[in-house]
Amino acid sequence: MALNFKKETFREDYTYSNSDAAIKRFPFPFPEDQYMYSVNIEPHTKGKQGSVCEFTFDIDEHYVAECIDKKITLEQDPGRYQALPHMMDAQWDFVELTMGALAQDYPEHFTLQKQGLIWTWENKPLGIKDTFTFGDTSTLAAEPFDYIGRQLQGDFVLLDHRDETLYADAGIVTSQADWSLAFNVGMSWREWHGPVPRATELGVMDRALKYLLNLQIGSPVRRLNWTMTVNPRLDTSPENYPHWGSDRNTVNAENIGDLVHLRVELQTLFRLPRSNAIVFSIRCYLINLKDIAIYPCWAKRLHRVQKTMHPDLIEYKGMTKFHPMMVDWLAKFDDGETLAIGTQPE
Amino acid sequence: MERGYWIKSKPVYNALVWHEKATAHLVLAQNQGGLAVLKLFQQMQPQQPVTVIYAQHDTDYAKTLKKVVPDGLDVVSSEQELLVSLKNIMPSMRMGLRVYVAGSEGFIWSVAEVLKTFGVEEADIMKELTDTLARTIYCVHCKAITHNITTNIGKCSGCARMLFVRDHFSRHLGAYMGLMIDAESPGELPEIEEIYP
Repeated sequence: MALNFKKETFREDYTYSNSDAAIKRFPFPFPEDQYMYSVNIEPHTKGKQGSVCEFTFDIDEHYVAECIDKKITLEQDPGRYQALPHMMDAQWDFVELTMGALAQDYPEHFTLQKQGLIWTWENKPLGIKDTFTFGDTSTLAAEPFDYIGRQLQGDFVLLDHRDETLYADAGIVTSQADWSLAFNVGMSWREWHGPVPRATELGVMDRALKYLLNLQIGSPVRRLNWTMTVNPRLDTSPENYPHWGSDRNTVNAENIGDLVHLRVELQTLFRLPRSNAIVFSIRCYLINLKDIAIYPCWAKRLHRVQKTMHPDLIEYKGMTKFHPMMVDWLAKFDDGETLAIGTQPE
Repeated sequence: MERGYWIKSKPVYNALVWHEKATAHLVLAQNQGGLAVLKLFQQMQPQQPVTVIYAQHDTDYAKTLKKVVPDGLDVVSSEQELLVSLKNIMPSMRMGLRVYVAGSEGFIWSVAEVLKTFGVEEADIMKELTDTLARTIYCVHCKAITHNITTNIGKCSGCARMLFVRDHFSRHLGAYMGLMIDAESPGELPEIEEIYP
C-alpha cells in the first residue's frame, strides 16, 4: 500500500496534523490508570497490520516532512550528528540494517540492489538514487550513518559495547525530548541516564542495561516512552531551548487541546553483527489532546495517569506550567468508568 | 527534587591511595594538590618507580616535595607546562602504569584528556579534588566552554547567556552542562550565589 506523504511543518507555523488513520494507529503508551517507570521492554516482533510495529522501522504519512525538518535542524547545527572514529564498522552495520529493512517492507518506496559490494539504493519519496561500495566511505557523499540517518524518521544512537556497559559513541539526533547529543556523546549508560529522577532508585536503569548487554543479533526489542510537548515541534533540544522554552507560557484553557501534544517515543534496539554495537532507535509520534479525546477511553486513561503523576516526573518532563490545566481539561471526558488493561483506542 | 536525588554523571573524587599492583606510578598535581601528594607519601612508599610532576602556583609545596619524593620529581611553573611534560613522558610509559591526579576539577580533566590520547581510560585514573570547586561549563546553546564558574548561574563566555549550572557532567568535554536560565521568562534571574568556591 503506497503512503500519502503530507506537506506539513514542525516549526514556525506548525501545520502538522494527524489523519484519522494516523490517530487510530497512534502508539498510546498507557495500559493502566497509573504510570511509573518500569523495564517495559518486549521483543520487537511483527505487530498487527497497519500498526506502528508492523515493520522493522515504521514509515508513515509524516515521512517526507520529517526528513525535511531533520535537514533544516542539521543545517543549523551540524553537531546533531556525532560519530567517534572507532564507530565506522557500526556505521556500515547500520546502513545494512536500515536499507535492507526499508527495501523489504516498503518496496514501492525504497529499493536496494546488491551486486557484490556494489549497492544501489533508491529512495523514491525523497528522490535519491545512489550507487556506492559497501564498506568504502569514500563512495558516499557523507559518512554512512549520516547518509542514511537523514533518510529515516526519528533519532538514532549507536551504542558501543565495552567494559560491561554501553557507550553512546555515535548519534543523529534532531527530534529529542530535551537531551543533547553533543553533550552526551561518549557517555556510558549510567552517566547518560544520570538525570532521570526515580528510575535509578527503582533499579530500572541497571536492569535495563543488564537486559541490553545480552541483546542478540536478530532479536531486537522495543519499549515506549513518553512526554508532553507544547506545539508539534520535533526539535525540542536543549540547544534550541531559548526558542521553544517560552512556548510553555502560551498555553491557556482555550487552546490547550490544540497546543499540548502527547509525545510518544517508540524505542527499538538492535544488536549489530560486525561491530557488536547496538542501534538505539527513537521514533517520535505526536498527537494533540483534542485528537486523543476522539477516543473516550484514551481521554479517560490519560486523565487518570496525569492526575496521579509523581511530582518529580511532572517537573522532569517539563509539564509544571500546564499540568493542572491539562488535568482539568481532561477531567470532563472522565466519567469514572472502569477501563480494561490495554492501549487500544476502542 | 527530593532528598537522595543526584545526577549520576557527576564525578566523585576520592583521596589518593597507592595501588600496590602496578609496574610504575605517575603522580600529577597542581598547586594545593601538592598536599595530596605529600599525603600519598605519608602512606607506604611503593616498591615500583614513582614519577611526580608538580605545577606550583600560589601555594608552594615544591620544597617539601623535594625532601619527600626520593627521585623522579619534576617541578614546573604552570598547568600548561605540566601537560607538555606529560605528553613527553607518556611514550616511555608501559602497561601497568598507575596514574594519580590532584588539583582543581579543570586540571583533573585536562590531564584526563591528554591521557586519553595515550589509551588511558578515565576510570583508571585516581583523582583527588583540591584547590577549588569551581566548574568548567559547556554552553549547550553555543557550545562555548567557560572556566572557573563559582556560582549557581554563570555567564557564557561565548553567547553571554546566563546559564544555570547543572550537575550533569560530560567526561568527553570535561565540563558541566550550562542551560539558559531565563529562556521561559526572559530577564527573570534567580539570585546568583557562590556555591562552588
